[in-house]
Amino acid sequence: MAGSTAEATALARRLSERGEDAARYAPWFDRGRCREALAGNGLPRFHAEAWRHTNPRPWYAAALGANGGGADVRVQAPPGVDVATFDEPRAADLFARHSGDILDPAEHPLAAVNGLLLGAGVVVHAPAGLQAATPVRIDGLGAAFQHVLVVAQPGAALTVLETPSAFAHRVVECVVAAGARLTHLRRQDASGGCECSLVAATVAEGGRYELAQLSKGAALRRNDLVARIDGPNAGAHIRAAWRLDDGHLDNQVRISHAEGGGTSRQTYRGVAGGRSRAVLNGAIHIAPGADGSDASLTAKNLLTSATAQVFAKPALEINASDVKCAHGATVGALDEEAVLYLRSRGIGESDARDLLVRAFLAEAIVDEEGARSLGLSG
Amino acid sequence: MTLLAVENLHVEVDGKPILNGLSLAVPAGQVHAVMGPNGSGKSTFANVLAGRPDYTVTAGSVAMDGEQLLDLAPEERARKGLFLAFQYPVEIPGVSNMEFLKAATDAQAKAAGQQAPSAVEFIGRARQAAADLRLSADFLKRGVNEGFSGGEKKRNEILQLLLLRPRLAILDETDSGLDIDALKVVAAGINAFRAAHNAVVLVTHYQRLLDHVVPDRIHVLAGGGIVRSGDKSLAHALEAKGYGWLDS
Ligand SMILES: Nc1ncnc2c1ncn2[C@@H]1O[C@H](COP(=O)(O)OP(=O)(O)OP(=O)(O)O)[C@@H](O)[C@H]1O
Ligand SMILES: [Mg+2]
Repeated sequence: MAGSTAEATALARRLSERGEDAARYAPWFDRGRCREALAGNGLPRFHAEAWRHTNPRPWYAAALGANGGGADVRVQAPPGVDVATFDEPRAADLFARHSGDILDPAEHPLAAVNGLLLGAGVVVHAPAGLQAATPVRIDGLGAAFQHVLVVAQPGAALTVLETPSAFAHRVVECVVAAGARLTHLRRQDASGGCECSLVAATVAEGGRYELAQLSKGAALRRNDLVARIDGPNAGAHIRAAWRLDDGHLDNQVRISHAEGGGTSRQTYRGVAGGRSRAVLNGAIHIAPGADGSDASLTAKNLLTSATAQVFAKPALEINASDVKCAHGATVGALDEEAVLYLRSRGIGESDARDLLVRAFLAEAIVDEEGARSLGLSG
Repeated sequence: MTLLAVENLHVEVDGKPILNGLSLAVPAGQVHAVMGPNGSGKSTFANVLAGRPDYTVTAGSVAMDGEQLLDLAPEERARKGLFLAFQYPVEIPGVSNMEFLKAATDAQAKAAGQQAPSAVEFIGRARQAAADLRLSADFLKRGVNEGFSGGEKKRNEILQLLLLRPRLAILDETDSGLDIDALKVVAAGINAFRAAHNAVVLVTHYQRLLDHVVPDRIHVLAGGGIVRSGDKSLAHALEAKGYGWLDS
């Protein structure tokens, strides 16, 4: 089934054996589906389309060594937002009512593995019309394999901030109901480890999903994101910036317009230095009949060393009419004239470059509050 | 006391000689103008002083306050009090003018072992300097030179001069592209800066600026060196007769 490495074989065996012991945590969670999916498709393989530039092998090793359930859950929420960890009885009910079909483990092996090794989970639920006063902060969930479900009911407005601690292998499902607005801030700090995450969002009519994500490098960092526009005037704006001094970051993004009349924006700014390697696969899919969709993707990359590598590939699949779709990806270097200008005013060379790099990244993270939360501005 | 001493400076770009034996001494408290035909090397000279890396100095020396400059990085020269107003200031989108000015001020204060001004105090100073130069406070919020008109960029250079208070200001055609009123405003800024302990080198093509900022000496740069020096009347002679007159 899986790739031929010893790690993959060992992980596959461990996953197929997971049954009784896994059911200790959140026994209601549907692991059967995950097991079936992996039995059918196997684990991700290096060089397969979605893993062209990333060898999952170190991740298998990390997954094999991962710990089980933990109690160190650190989530803060403003009044009115309901937070239930997966071991609380009402979590099962909230999950059953709101989790949708976007995280099909057959399509997302990361979700399947995550489901089988699940050790921590939380549901964040904003009832209809709630205007949350402060962000929900997710600072830690304890176990290595984590699942977060965020639900913004009709008309609700909510910000969720994920800070980097214990951010090992996390699946985040975001359900944005009609007219709701979810602002999702994610900070991923530099790490010598191996971290995979999968974000899946669905946006109903008139709803809005806004992601602002700032990533540093890890030995292996994989960020998968799928978002689905499910109704007219639904919008998704993906803003992702990364700054790699070293390490590996692989972003796999797919926005699909399932219904017409929606808008999606993808804005990427990446800086790769040292011996780092950054990958961006940004896909826009417009389903048959999703007429009048409006989608765009821009990706700008800066290389700050001769040994860094960037692979950026936008992909479009358009099956509808009257569609607006624009995309562009560039790779460049810092403006040396600007560096000299700053230095000529007494600013040291590394500070000058840092100032320019932060300004470049801020083109993606434009929201001031978001930039502050993500540590991009003072 | 000689603030700037340039001796026998030879400079090449891509193996092409541009300056061959330029010497110039500017005492503290003085304003010297450097004039000369297009392409004669005035900006090259200014940029070599500031430390632009594209130029190769093949011979000669440059000292400020008796200290050799040529081995120093651009930022070290700036921290010692050298300031170049660029002929073509660079646009830096995304870095606000205020953030840039504060970063420069802080870096220079730190190098001098002084305490940096507080944010509130600095904002007050920057607003005052902008007002003196008839620049609206909006220019402090915009990206550095981003979308500024030619004349606004030049005024922004003088804004930096007023805030950074260098020992030696080299102004490369800061008067070019200024309208009549802006020229007066910029000249007033330069005059306000003039003091017994600092010096100014004005690179210009026009007598006009020199009516407002009266130089102590005028030098003509041609053929890679200073071919003529004189008092302010030299500018009138050049204005009337052109550079060809010097060859005769
Ligand atoms: N980076 C460079 N590469 C090639 N040639 C250069 C470079 N910089 C300057 N030069 C050449 O050196 C000569 C002097 O240029 P410089 O800009 O110093 O002249 P200038 O006296 O300032 O002229 P202007 O009055 O037009 O501003 C010109 O012939 C110019 O083309
Ligand atoms: Mg010039």
